[in-house]
Amino acid sequence: MKVPIKTKVNGKLYEQEVEARSTLLDILRDELKIKSVHRGCEDGECGACTVLLNGKPVCSCLVLAAQVDGAEITTVEGLLKGDELHPLMLAFIENHAVQCGYCTPGVIMTAYYLLNNLADFTDEDLRRGIEGNLCRCTGYIHIIKAIKAAKKCKDSGNWW
Amino acid sequence: MEERERRLVSGKGFYVDDIELPNMAHCIFVGSPYAHARIKSVDVSRALRLNGVLAIITGKEVAKLMDPLPATSNYEAIGWHWRTPKVYPLAVDKVRFQGEPVAAIIAEHPYIALDAADLIDIEYELLPPVSDVNEAMQPGSPLVYEEWEDNMQVHLEFNFGDIDAAFKEADRILRVSWHEGRVSGFPIEARGCVASYDRITGMLNMWSSTQAPFLGRQYISSALRLPTNKVRIVVADVGGAFGNKLNWWKDTVVGLGSIVTGRPVKWVESKRELFLTGSHNRDVTWEGEVAVKNDGSILGVKAKFVKDLGVEGTNRGSAAMGIIPACCSVPNAYRLFKGLKIEACGVVTNKSPYCAYRGYGKDKGIKFMERIMQIVSRELNIEPEQIRLGNFIQPHQFPYKQISGYVYDSGDYPAVLKKALKLGKVDLWREKQRQARKQGKYIGVGVAFMVEPAGVAAPHCIYGGLTQARVRITSDGLVEVENDQTEIGQGSTITRTKVVANILGAKIDDIEVKRDSSDMPGSGVYSSRGAVYPTGALIRAARELRVRMIKFAGHFLNEEPAHIDITDGVFHSTKDPTKRMSLKELADCAYFRPGPRGLPHDMQVKHEILLDVSASWFSPNTAQNPTSTYATYCSGADIAVVEVDVETGAVSILKYAHVHDAGTLLDKDVVEGQIFGGIVQGIGEALSEELVYTRSGELLNNSYTDYVMPTAQDSPDIVMGHIETPSPFTELGQKGIGEAPVITSKAAIINAIEDALSPFNIRVPESPATRERIRRWILESQEG
Ligand code: FES
Ligand code: FES
Repeated sequence: MKVPIKTKVNGKLYEQEVEARSTLLDILRDELKIKSVHRGCEDGECGACTVLLNGKPVCSCLVLAAQVDGAEITTVEGLLKGDELHPLMLAFIENHAVQCGYCTPGVIMTAYYLLNNLADFTDEDLRRGIEGNLCRCTGYIHIIKAIKAAKKCKDSGNWW
Repeated sequence: MEERERRLVSGKGFYVDDIELPNMAHCIFVGSPYAHARIKSVDVSRALRLNGVLAIITGKEVAKLMDPLPATSNYEAIGWHWRTPKVYPLAVDKVRFQGEPVAAIIAEHPYIALDAADLIDIEYELLPPVSDVNEAMQPGSPLVYEEWEDNMQVHLEFNFGDIDAAFKEADRILRVSWHEGRVSGFPIEARGCVASYDRITGMLNMWSSTQAPFLGRQYISSALRLPTNKVRIVVADVGGAFGNKLNWWKDTVVGLGSIVTGRPVKWVESKRELFLTGSHNRDVTWEGEVAVKNDGSILGVKAKFVKDLGVEGTNRGSAAMGIIPACCSVPNAYRLFKGLKIEACGVVTNKSPYCAYRGYGKDKGIKFMERIMQIVSRELNIEPEQIRLGNFIQPHQFPYKQISGYVYDSGDYPAVLKKALKLGKVDLWREKQRQARKQGKYIGVGVAFMVEPAGVAAPHCIYGGLTQARVRITSDGLVEVENDQTEIGQGSTITRTKVVANILGAKIDDIEVKRDSSDMPGSGVYSSRGAVYPTGALIRAARELRVRMIKFAGHFLNEEPAHIDITDGVFHSTKDPTKRMSLKELADCAYFRPGPRGLPHDMQVKHEILLDVSASWFSPNTAQNPTSTYATYCSGADIAVVEVDVETGAVSILKYAHVHDAGTLLDKDVVEGQIFGGIVQGIGEALSEELVYTRSGELLNNSYTDYVMPTAQDSPDIVMGHIETPSPFTELGQKGIGEAPVITSKAAIINAIEDALSPFNIRVPESPATRERIRRWILESQEG
């Protein structure tokens, strides 16, 4: 069964007919070819598929495509300014928070949400905030460091 | 620099799942729900009628179209008790573990393949399963392989030194037993590959998430009866590996799927499938005795070592072989050993195959020894660090031949441990521990030390120490680099770039590390060998290329090569500053204007006309000392301070310190990233991770929901220190360290828990130390 949906993904409008059983993850990856959204567990456990749905982080593997009619979706591609990397992305690179990179786009989306929504935070808040994103490579230490560095960028106005 | 990272943060990754080829089909595996059963019939006719199903491959087909999976190691020929089963990637007549693939479906879409899976009719006749290793060793146990008379795949005895003398000289003999639960790496990206077979040329091209494309090519071509030069594997971005991507048994079926259908075929494993059929590790039991003097000197260890290999440990991966480093690593950093005797059993059961996971085998011996140290410390009432300091090999003793035959290259173990004690503020925490006890709180300080053998070259297996590097200057003066140091997220792209830029004197941004592929002969990355073997080859190639570049530049600048230097991609004469030329200018001269005709006669006749050098490397340590299967031996010490809530069994980490000596550090960030990740994996193993099988061989936890890996909340703050004692056996003094942190962190946490629970007189018998287990140990101790 096909369901018609309209979405705005990274600022672009899409009208699609989606399979009723397709997930948001499926349509982003397979139809819109947004490959940053990674298939990790498809169980809502790893966060590799995290995107912002109407501004809030969700596991796109747990959302049916048919549910997102009218929604706005952002992925890491949406944080780029042309070919320019977002300061948060640069902070990840500078702080060696990218190892295999499989968790990275998901972690970045969660971190982007946290940075935009928490005026201030402790390390503990951060750890709690990214708890839903599993990373097997970094032990999270460099990720926390990167997000804290990005906070400085944000506070100094180097942000979008 | 960091081009790879720039790609990955911005969604330009090239993981297997991102690959889309024209006309590509999809493969899924259909697994057995039972752990042990005879396959009476497989009927695929209903499934084949489903629209969009292209082919279904079953065990019958693979037995016809393929050779059995090749053994990755085999020591039968040298007289060892070493059995290799005849197995195929799809079960032929019986299934031997839950999830064992029985059929592979190739379809237009993965969802169609999933629908088709429901339409395959398989009739099984259940057989009694054996999932408990002790039962598997009993006479009369069900046989995993009926052609063997028992379930002992590998049975070895290691006997070093004089064990009787050690035990005769001892003041005390202490019993030790220790079990490690079954775990694995379970990277966030599971296994996967895309295979594309060209029926006209007979060429099978593959893109794979693998650690070792050259070995993969060997394995796949052998199973598929293809010449090796008709198989090529390109490594996609790898979403974590940790040893789990050092096997290709399922990839062979994907290749076959492409051969059968004539279509490119993609297989991306689901997480459930990775848990059920992926390579497991640990699951070892040690029972033994240690001979000690009253002053804490460790004189010898006698033990029985049992490893639960699951369905087998030689053909779907390489597990049985890990028994050898497990036993040879037991003496660890300690010099007073007079004897070591171990009976080692590699036993097959109806569980998933066993293969590498960070630590591979050596981790097991080291953790056993570090548990022994803890027990000796408690029994003799000597602080754990004092026991170690008293037994350490001393800095002046290197190179040091350990009783098991390994030749340790260099180190300063007392300095490493003392630095860790300081960073971990051990004295302060012991004081806090005393205070806390008065308030009914249980704090423990755990110490662990390790010497990690890294960079293997073993005979009679696929891990023989092959490596190659190629470095060349392109016609516009840029540098292209390749070796078998597969990028799996450990940071080998950064390391390779820096190493080559430093040696050549080229600009870091001018270095391009080529995508890894099976074109480069070399065993890939495992055994912490990246910094040792492939880097060794890379350094040798880069050094030779530099000599050639300088010779070329000397010729074109009309200057003695001895007076030419290169910095930041510019050659200059140290005598005459006006004589300068960039690498780009040199490349243009060398390639085209004037090109080879403009080179001196002697270079022409020696055919030295290209700025392109390949080199290999073999460990001088292993070459000189055949018993030293490993090239380098880094060291490390971990201090963990934990608090155990005795009411709930919950463990919290209050302080964590780690110091290591990886020789000359190639890149500090890369090394630290590896170490942080490894420490947290070890913490997961110590506290929560375990694959639990029922007696009927059913895996109870096959998802991240039930197999509990550390989240950001479980990762502690870690203070880290480095000490650099260069290895005399490597090109820059560097040592492998990739696997080290997962070893000591687990041991330190377990030792800390035991220390915290010392008022209850508990010996932690096994890992993970889950809440439930800790509560049980406390209750049992209270019941007397
Ligand atoms: S893929 Fe969605 S949470 Fe893992
Ligand atoms: S960087 Fe590999 S999973 Fe996070």
